Amino acid sequence: MKFAKKWSAVVAIALASMTAYAQNVVLYSSNNPEAIANAAALLKKKNPKASVQNVTGGTGTLMKRIQAESANPGGDIFWSGGVGTLAAFTPLMEPYISPEAKAIGAQFQGPKNSFIATNVHVMVLMVNDKQLKGLAAPKTWSDLMKPEWKGKFVITDPARSGTAFIQVYGLLKQFGREGLEKVARNAVVVQSSGAVFKSVAAGEYPAGITIESSAYEFVAGGQKEIKLIYPTEGTYLGAEGMFIVKGAKNMPLAKEFYDVLLSKQAQETLLIENFRRPTRSDIAVSKLTSLPDLNSLKLFPLNLQVATEEYEQVIALWNLAIAKR
Amino acid sequence: MKPRIFNQLFFWPWGILSVLCLAVLAVFVVYPIGVITLSSLRTPDGGFSLSGFVTVLTDSKYLQAIFNTLLLSALVTTCTVLLGVPFAYIVARFDFPFKNWVAILPIATIIIPEVIVGQSWLLLLGNNGILTNALRSIGIDSPSFYGWGGLIFSMTLIYYTYIYLGMLAALRGFDGQLEEASMSLGATPLMTQFKVMLPTVAPAILVNALVVFTLVVGNFALSSMLGAQIPLLSVMTYSMFISEMGSSPVLQSSLSVVSIAMVAVVLFVQKKWVESKMVQMTQGRAPAPKRVRSWQSIMFTIFVVMVVAMSLMPLIAVFIGALTEARGPVMHWGQWSTRSLERALSFAPEPIINSIIFAACATCIGTVFAVLVSYLVVKKKSPISGWLDYAVVMPLTISGTVLGIGLVQTFNSGYLVLTGTAFIMVLCYVVRRLPFGVRNASSVLYNIPSSIEEASISLGVTPFKTFIKIILPVMKSSIFSAAILMWVTSISELSASIVVYTGGLETMPVAIFRQVDTGRLGLASAYGSVLVTLILVPVVFAVKFLKINLFSVK
Repeated sequence: MKFAKKWSAVVAIALASMTAYAQNVVLYSSNNPEAIANAAALLKKKNPKASVQNVTGGTGTLMKRIQAESANPGGDIFWSGGVGTLAAFTPLMEPYISPEAKAIGAQFQGPKNSFIATNVHVMVLMVNDKQLKGLAAPKTWSDLMKPEWKGKFVITDPARSGTAFIQVYGLLKQFGREGLEKVARNAVVVQSSGAVFKSVAAGEYPAGITIESSAYEFVAGGQKEIKLIYPTEGTYLGAEGMFIVKGAKNMPLAKEFYDVLLSKQAQETLLIENFRRPTRSDIAVSKLTSLPDLNSLKLFPLNLQVATEEYEQVIALWNLAIAKR
Repeated sequence: MKPRIFNQLFFWPWGILSVLCLAVLAVFVVYPIGVITLSSLRTPDGGFSLSGFVTVLTDSKYLQAIFNTLLLSALVTTCTVLLGVPFAYIVARFDFPFKNWVAILPIATIIIPEVIVGQSWLLLLGNNGILTNALRSIGIDSPSFYGWGGLIFSMTLIYYTYIYLGMLAALRGFDGQLEEASMSLGATPLMTQFKVMLPTVAPAILVNALVVFTLVVGNFALSSMLGAQIPLLSVMTYSMFISEMGSSPVLQSSLSVVSIAMVAVVLFVQKKWVESKMVQMTQGRAPAPKRVRSWQSIMFTIFVVMVVAMSLMPLIAVFIGALTEARGPVMHWGQWSTRSLERALSFAPEPIINSIIFAACATCIGTVFAVLVSYLVVKKKSPISGWLDYAVVMPLTISGTVLGIGLVQTFNSGYLVLTGTAFIMVLCYVVRRLPFGVRNASSVLYNIPSSIEEASISLGVTPFKTFIKIILPVMKSSIFSAAILMWVTSISELSASIVVYTGGLETMPVAIFRQVDTGRLGLASAYGSVLVTLILVPVVFAVKFLKINLFSVK
């Protein structure tokens, strides 16, 4: 029985050391582990007693979870999901005006201070040079509609990912149904947004439609054959936001975390280390990183709130385009 | 006078303990299964309907998943038999160089967590794997490891051990005189093997093949890591669960019931039909292994070394991955660095701490409970010990995913809220391992004559003290091996953990799974190497220093 005694002592000590962190904030996050670790470290820097516990999952999954838990919230703060999606869930959010919100443009703020955008995604073409094998690298969206690109590029099923939905929505608005059908005819459709950049990086396909921050990780990681292409016809932006869960159990700390994530230091750190473009107007992207400034890119403007309203039709059109090929 | 049954049930300590154990099992095993079954039959407004099952059995999406699961299970089972049977035959009957290497095999394959096996094969053969890149650099494009090929390959390399161990036991119990008799009657050696030996060992193969079949049906880790493009039941049930959280649980429950039913049918067949055909050899005298020479010995050696090397590959790969320089998602093979390990150990140690605490608790609770229940069932027969026996094997029919869903659905609200607590994690591990723990302990208890206990009691020692002073010391080594196996399986459990974990409860397998999902193979390997170390240290300690034969009691 000696060993049982010893073990119970170990367990007791371990449990005690866990509860010593009195201040916990539960973060529901769709971000990758490094970004979460950076965010947690930034909070810890400001408030050494704070400790972040995270539950990760896709934005849709976590929204449903927050909805299911609304009577007894398990999470305190959500970071981050597409603003189009967030707009559909405002009743789940605790309105809050952060002192840092002044530095963020009105286009990035949710109705009635319900949520706020923390970063902007730029849609890009991710190209693996080694796999082009004689094919000219695409310069813009219409290149993907050419017959020689059939089966050569990947896109995520827009029903599975918020960013893929923006990509498909943008293509539809910019090139109409006909253009979307041409893209659909050539595309290889995968079921998660991660599968796009992972398979292009691994050389399974020469190109993929994805977001800048995910694709750039491979460039920054030192994989030389990976290139990012910003379509010359104009690309699409997708802002991502956060909110405090209504009735959050750790409200003061959730607000503190919210302020930290909007601070200049946090947005710069997340830009430099995780390639998240800031929503703050006082940060110069090209000075801090080798990413181009937003105003040097040609953009095709989209109204993401309208996009969410048209969600069902757009998905139906896409499915029709896939069925037709 | 009180009725006899009353006396038996409320007699301290064993009667009351039996009732208590049955109550615990009823709450944590039977009740959750009941809740899942009921909620698969319920309509949103509280009525009963079969709509969930109608959807599952008519919608091509679900039928496809059920069909794929059955097909995969059948294919993997076939491959494991094709690999395990000849392997066991060679090991049992022949002597050749490096033969003793096979001793590490069961350890290598059974205790390496599936999540690590999956991750390691991806490190080697995945789209950005070491071997894939090496082959690509010389101009060979290897086929994608994701999909049927990878699933069958990696699962076969884990599960063949069950066939191998079963076949080996059967061959060692096989009476060599039967063979001699057959051959002296003029049969050729090949004919003897097919007509005499095969029929006697076939039931043993079949029993283990059915075990493999059920393991593949319930497999989550490899299915979801390698089979993203192939709909499979366990993965589909899981993704339904995470996307349906809180809304209608009918479909996820129906899918769960389908998988329970599939496994239950297989177990039933095994119990009723196959086990009755098992051949008991009274005078088993296996022939001594034949020393083979020249080309045959070289061939056998190569075969065995290759199987051992392939089985150990994940172990090596995970340490290479942990010590390789990783920048974001990009692995720089050939550049060594301890950065991933440092990050896992110092910046994000929570999964490690959680895993150790949960597995330690599960080991203590599970071992004590398993020993107690098997003692009650074997030695203290009461009117309810038959029920206890049934309740204890019920978890065999539930895959980890389904168990997790059941527990979350059951203890989400009401008198006992466990969802989101550390207790539910521990509970999952205890329940999953219980049938094996009880089976191990029972087989030892059957061999302890009741007379020594009776002698102690007749000398005036209380029953409880007798249990502590006489029975436990005799069972010591089997308790130890049960505890170590409990530790090993708890610390590597993924399929139930990933369903029930919430903020702050992340364990190492969950962390590994998530890191692989986001493409961070460096950090995944770092956690993997810590996990493997925490598994191997107690196992090596037990085998080397306590001389415990972990895999003799099956």
